Amino acid sequence: MRNESLHFKPRPSVGWAWLAVIALACIGIGALTALPLLHADAPIGILLLVALPLPLIGVPFLVLAIWFPTMRYQLDERSLTLRYGPVLTYQIPLNEIQTIRKRNLSISLLSSMRLPGLALFTVHYTDLGNVKMCATAAATGILLVETAKHKYGLTPADEEGFLAALQARIGS
Amino acid sequence: MPPITIMAVITLIASVGLWGGLIYACSGRDRRYLGWLLPGLPLSAFVNLLVKKPLIVSVGEAANIPPGLGLATPVWFIIFLWLVPPVTEEAVKVAPLLWPSARRAIKSRTAALWTGAALGVSFGLGEAVWIAYGIAQSPQYAAYPWYAFTGYLGERLVVCFCHGVMTALVVTGLQQGRGRAWVGYLAAVGLHALLNTGAVLAQLGVISPAVAGLILMPPVLIMFVIFESLRRRAAGDPESQAAAAEVIYFRREPDRNAE
Repeated sequence: MRNESLHFKPRPSVGWAWLAVIALACIGIGALTALPLLHADAPIGILLLVALPLPLIGVPFLVLAIWFPTMRYQLDERSLTLRYGPVLTYQIPLNEIQTIRKRNLSISLLSSMRLPGLALFTVHYTDLGNVKMCATAAATGILLVETAKHKYGLTPADEEGFLAALQARIGS
Repeated sequence: MPPITIMAVITLIASVGLWGGLIYACSGRDRRYLGWLLPGLPLSAFVNLLVKKPLIVSVGEAANIPPGLGLATPVWFIIFLWLVPPVTEEAVKVAPLLWPSARRAIKSRTAALWTGAALGVSFGLGEAVWIAYGIAQSPQYAAYPWYAFTGYLGERLVVCFCHGVMTALVVTGLQQGRGRAWVGYLAAVGLHALLNTGAVLAQLGVISPAVAGLILMPPVLIMFVIFESLRRRAAGDPESQAAAAEVIYFRREPDRNAE
């Protein structure tokens, strides 16, 4: 029983919608920029230089939106793994966990992958500094798992079940 | 309807959404502070009509300096023109705090930060309307379509945020006590003067409006750094700690064998 790996889903959010809106806005504005240039028979170099950068920014957001349902917290015998598609995997050895606490975080204006309903990768918070996030909330009700070196932020849907399983495995 | 009207409405909606949203989100979704987005609205028109204009006109007349001299204006009067807006506006923006009940609301550094930021943004919104009114009165802009005023939109969005940061500095100083209040006020005046440098140089014809726009950027970046610093300091006070509402589920006991 102990050897089996447990999977926990994050709590629901509309983070995917924000990603999709940003992606579509970038692609749409890029297309709108390209249209008058196409009508004016602008050189292909100018067209690419002016119209391509925004869609290039938009595509990764679209890909992240598609991967949104893949966010998972996997609890094994020895480690807790946070996953988001193939682009984010944080493995936390259970014997290195110092504290588990839940709190609201104070978001910083510094740029990072943080939107309403989604926080991914390393996000800077005014009160805690850098936190490695794999969560469906940017600041509210974040479960913080701390090791000596890093802080990790997650938002399991079944928080009670997740905490019980995690503490049981740390205790053993 | 003057063409600037549509862009002014867009600017107001975007500013309220962006900066009001920022204040709401960063203050831990505290709706109390959103009310402070109202009292500053008429203050820009008030300070321009009843303080700045009479002051500049009376000093200019007393010194026999006609308006519109450009670089022929005496240096002391240029410095005076440069300093009048920061000195008067930074004072008038905190005028709503003269109400005793309003003063009592800023009992913590966190409350001072967000009350000040909201009051500053409020003044910025009123200033956007005041400037749009000025543009609407000018026949030279009447022929432009509304979407030609994107420069107004971008500048006012940024300046709204800057007003928020500068007033947050003043109100945070006020909350700390009389000595700190002066430090906060003078810091805000200095930042405001720095922010206005490009506009003053453009009015004198020394630089183009486009260069003035570029000169605006370094002070805006400084404002972001100051805002983050104010927030970091406020994060340490009890109200912010309470807003964080921490629950500890597990804490590893120190390894006694290691001692």
